[in-house]
Amino acid sequence: MGAFEYRQAEEVRAAFEAHGVRYLFIGKSGAILLGFPDTTQDADLFVENSAGNGQALVRALRDLGFDLAAEQQNEILRRKDFIQLKNGPFDLDLVFAPDGIERFEDAWQRRVTADGFPVCHPDDIIASKQAANRVKDRESLPRLRAFRDYWKAQQEKGV
Amino acid sequence: MEPEAAADSRQHAEWIAEFEAAGRRPLAMRMRYAFIHTYKPVLDDAPFRAFDSMADYRQWCEANLPSWLGYGRV
Repeated sequence: MGAFEYRQAEEVRAAFEAHGVRYLFIGKSGAILLGFPDTTQDADLFVENSAGNGQALVRALRDLGFDLAAEQQNEILRRKDFIQLKNGPFDLDLVFAPDGIERFEDAWQRRVTADGFPVCHPDDIIASKQAANRVKDRESLPRLRAFRDYWKAQQEKGV
Repeated sequence: MEPEAAADSRQHAEWIAEFEAAGRRPLAMRMRYAFIHTYKPVLDDAPFRAFDSMADYRQWCEANLPSWLGYGRV
């Protein structure tokens, strides 16, 4: 299994767009898309929790090359809160109900687009990590907050 | 300036320099250096996992993953 690459992010975007999947990059992978210089292992996607979106998601994942057994497909269609996929061309974490964000629609309204990729606003990425309150999140939050402030200043300057 | 405040200030300045340097690189290049695949014991040993709730997932991480991976709650 190789690391997640730009080309694969483009493939996700194309497949999800083709099937009408509503999603946002979230977590450190989302922050990286916005310019945060750090490392991570896999891509995290916040996916809208609706029956239609779940069905579209399964179709898009199959197109991307994920090998979904019937039971696995059903788990996605049931839209369990957190799903880890390591049976495709790259690792993907699907989150239907991230900690710290009440509703997908709210995050969608606040979203940021980076190179055509829909990404959670840095405030939402931070809120999610704060709520998760894991050791690794606690360690990375001060730098992520500094990046959020830097990013906002750049946005205000129109950079 | 107190030594601790000076260290914080230096740290912040280093971060800003890193953010500025990253901003000068195209996204494809940033991603090449950002996404690194390293084996994580237990976590990487199943091709598929699904959890009914985030609380279930957090509990599973704390019960099953080595603490040094950092997935435990503070």
